[in-house]
Amino acid sequence: MAVPEATTDRRGVLVLGGGIAGIQAALDLAASRIPVYLVEKSASIGGRMAQLDKTFPTMDCSI
Amino acid sequence: MMDAGRHPNIRLLTNSELVGLEGEAGDFKAQVRRHPRYVSEELCTGCGVCGRNCPVEVLSEFDAGVGKRKAVYVPFPQAVPNIYILDKENCTECGICVEKCPRDAIDLDDPGKDLELKVGSVIVATGFEVFDPTVVKAYGFGLYDNVVTSMQMERLLNASGPTQGHILRPSDGKVPRKIGFVQCVGTRGEAGLQYCSRFCCMNSIKDCMLVKQHAPEIEELKIFYIDIRAAGKGFEEFYQRSLEMPELTYIRGRPSKILEDPQTKDLVVQVEDGEAGKINDFQLDMVVLSSGAVANKTNQKLAEILGIEREETGFFTSGEETGSPLESTKEGIYLCGCASGINDISDSVAQGSGAAAAAEKHLAKLRIEEKKEEIPELDVSGPPRIGVFVCHCGINIAGVLDIDALKKYAETLPDVVFVRDSLFLCSDDGQRRLQDMIKKKKLNRVVAAACTPRTHEPIFRESCARIGLNPYLFEMVNVRDQCSWVHTEEPQEATEKAKDLIRMGVAKARLLEPLYKQSIKIDRKVLVIGGGISGMRAALDLDAQGFQVTLIEKEGKLGGSLNDIHRIYPQDLSASELVETMMQKIKNSKIEVLTEIEITDIKGFIGNFEVFTSKGGLKVGTIVLAIGGELYEPEGDFGYGKFKNVITNLDLERMIRDNQGDIIIDGEKPTTVAFIQCVGSRDLEKNPACSRFCCPTTIKQALELKKRGTNVVVFHRDMRTVGTRAEEHYRKAREMGVRFLKYSPEMKPQVVGEGKASGVELLEPALNRNLTLPVDAVVLACGMIPNEVETGRLQGILKVPRGADGFFMERHAKLGPVETTVEGVFVCGTAQGPKDISDSIAQGSAAAAKVATFICRDTIELEPTTSIVDADMCRGCGKCVRVCEFLAPKLVEKSPGIFVAEINQALCKGCGTCASWCPTGAITAKHFTDRQVESMIETFLTEAV
Repeated sequence: MAVPEATTDRRGVLVLGGGIAGIQAALDLAASRIPVYLVEKSASIGGRMAQLDKTFPTMDCSI
Repeated sequence: MMDAGRHPNIRLLTNSELVGLEGEAGDFKAQVRRHPRYVSEELCTGCGVCGRNCPVEVLSEFDAGVGKRKAVYVPFPQAVPNIYILDKENCTECGICVEKCPRDAIDLDDPGKDLELKVGSVIVATGFEVFDPTVVKAYGFGLYDNVVTSMQMERLLNASGPTQGHILRPSDGKVPRKIGFVQCVGTRGEAGLQYCSRFCCMNSIKDCMLVKQHAPEIEELKIFYIDIRAAGKGFEEFYQRSLEMPELTYIRGRPSKILEDPQTKDLVVQVEDGEAGKINDFQLDMVVLSSGAVANKTNQKLAEILGIEREETGFFTSGEETGSPLESTKEGIYLCGCASGINDISDSVAQGSGAAAAAEKHLAKLRIEEKKEEIPELDVSGPPRIGVFVCHCGINIAGVLDIDALKKYAETLPDVVFVRDSLFLCSDDGQRRLQDMIKKKKLNRVVAAACTPRTHEPIFRESCARIGLNPYLFEMVNVRDQCSWVHTEEPQEATEKAKDLIRMGVAKARLLEPLYKQSIKIDRKVLVIGGGISGMRAALDLDAQGFQVTLIEKEGKLGGSLNDIHRIYPQDLSASELVETMMQKIKNSKIEVLTEIEITDIKGFIGNFEVFTSKGGLKVGTIVLAIGGELYEPEGDFGYGKFKNVITNLDLERMIRDNQGDIIIDGEKPTTVAFIQCVGSRDLEKNPACSRFCCPTTIKQALELKKRGTNVVVFHRDMRTVGTRAEEHYRKAREMGVRFLKYSPEMKPQVVGEGKASGVELLEPALNRNLTLPVDAVVLACGMIPNEVETGRLQGILKVPRGADGFFMERHAKLGPVETTVEGVFVCGTAQGPKDISDSIAQGSAAAAKVATFICRDTIELEPTTSIVDADMCRGCGKCVRVCEFLAPKLVEKSPGIFVAEINQALCKGCGTCASWCPTGAITAKHFTDRQVESMIETFLTEAV
């Protein structure tokens, strides 16, 4: 049985998905002084973009 | 990624899932299930002992099945958080890892955790899955070893991937000489998916370029395509560059079959050549399937939990129909990225920011008070104690440079007391070790020999600051871009060059001084320039968060180019109704609207702009540029201006807007209308960019004409129907009998006629002769160009740079689409580049979110790496005032006739131009002082190895 964790009091925004769109949303909210809960189903954030080698058209590193 | 992992306002819940949601917008309760990780997040340091000792090996999901991982693992070296996870399904429970873990972090009986969170709004950014190509039996994926997906290719190309960036054929590990890319696998009508996956064309072009870099011996690259959809800012130009690669050939047609030689495992791709009416065979060593994106299988369950609706495609239903592309069907729940459909990276980033703006309005009153953590500053007095950290960057650096030689060399340099290397210095683990060593070895200067400061210096500086080391005592040496990347073929010389650079970095580090950020007060008012759809959206989103906004429009009426449009594609939404709704919302808001107004000048800097207009002045802290673009004027092209029955798509749009019944062109109802695409766009001389929205616009107008009984022929180069349901409408147009004829830029169609256009002449390749198609009217699909007058003027006033295409240039093509390089000035909509209405709206919201990140505070911190003037040495010559690009220096009369330069610290970018021009040496560029730079040059010249 999963252990329940005590509720936190800070009301924030729930962001589902830690890919580039979710990370961007989380960063902008956090920078605007809004607490964020970033929920990601896999073990690390990064999503699809982290899997890419380079991105067009600037050929920047994706990580 | 790293920033999200360490931001104090973000709580990361990985390996977790939403299981329940109650309540309503502003007051939701979310139940989140934290699945058991079996490795304690609190205890694990990511040291990797468990993984190294784990006897189980399985295929890695991150490497798309072309690499392996252990049963206890981190998905990739730069993972955030850098904490191991145990895969219970494949674990044999041998217990080795439990025993070996130095921190007792592994618990095979971890039950996981349930938690309840109070949230005001929800952002769905759950992304997409890749279409499983085993379904397309004819391509043999899963049966033929050398047929891979584009995601697998991506991992093969990656330096930290399973082959260290070497492209090797799965069947025999040999370097392939001939590679084919098959586009539209699973999309555009195959296997039931109708839509276009939007980014795959560009991805294959990029991969071809990377293959050439990684394996210069490649002989043939083939892309099998239907239409090349390079529709995005800078994409067409990128495609044009690929046409210069001699190895790369584009072959039009969807392959019917892929065959394998069972002995050699070589492949044959069969493609029908529609124009010549025969089947061609292509011999290849390896084939990459560009699998499209599909909705997550878990979307159905998530939709039920959230109480929102989905489309037939499985993606979540957005409010795109009503001009709110980021809204779901439930208030307080927003969509971004690939949750509601397919988007490329820059659009996903813009949507992410946009969703943040939307979500913020439910919490604007609940912003948290920021307590500045007081970190005691480390004592850095006394002689320099320098630590040098050499990063492998996977194999990006270590694959070329001799890391051991660099380390040994660094140890010999003056004041260097500690040297260490790291596989990825930027990873969580790498940063923590760096911090530990600074403290343990009492380092007071740090040099990192790694990648580029452009992306990574902030990460290192932040790590230093967190343990109390002044961040400006850190120096970065770029041995990747400047050594291992550019001198791949000469590893020895590259290593020597890296030594030189490290010696210079150490010489500068010895003279580094702590610098401190200053705060200035900012004005929270916002100015939005341009009352089109994206400007209105930006203003509304900021107003909803309680900020004061002034929206100015040079015309008498808000709405911008929407006022010319009849119905919006593909939603079949009335443009005038959308404008009306938005205007009503603005009327009910606190937004100050000023129309028929012109900006004459803007002075000042972030937080403190003074704006002069034809109707008086105003003071604001931030500015959003939403001035839109213009349609190309086709004077002289295709008989426009000569024949009255040759019109533009804008002319036709106005006719459709004003006429419910028959469309009359030049006094007649036409029986046959020809559309000519790419007029004034995709044209190397006039405008190389693709305007993206003209193909869908033509389809919309073709359908309107077809409904009125008119025959339609479209002359195009590639039909670029990207965006929601655009491809489906393209299909519908074909089914309704609209004809599509492809032309090449070398063989453009000619409009012919006497007194009026009577036909369109085009080379028919199958017959190899010109055919003339009789028409009664011609519609030119004109591309978008920048609004030259306004863009030029604002560029002059604000110094916001423009790209080669003439539009305002964003800070970063992917990661900063609505920011400019001028702090406090943002851009959105078609002022940044051609785009459709939904994308313009999303960018409007994104700009609002970016503005909010500044104006949610009263003050802003300034970078201390600026130039300063020593007033005693300045003789007031004014040279600095003349050379500065950013208008930072100005002459101040200190006493009658005595002028001294002063540099505005908020405007100064620290470029150092003034310091190098100053004839008396009165100006110092902080962090690049004369002494620091001279010591670098001196050590380079005198102590060469």
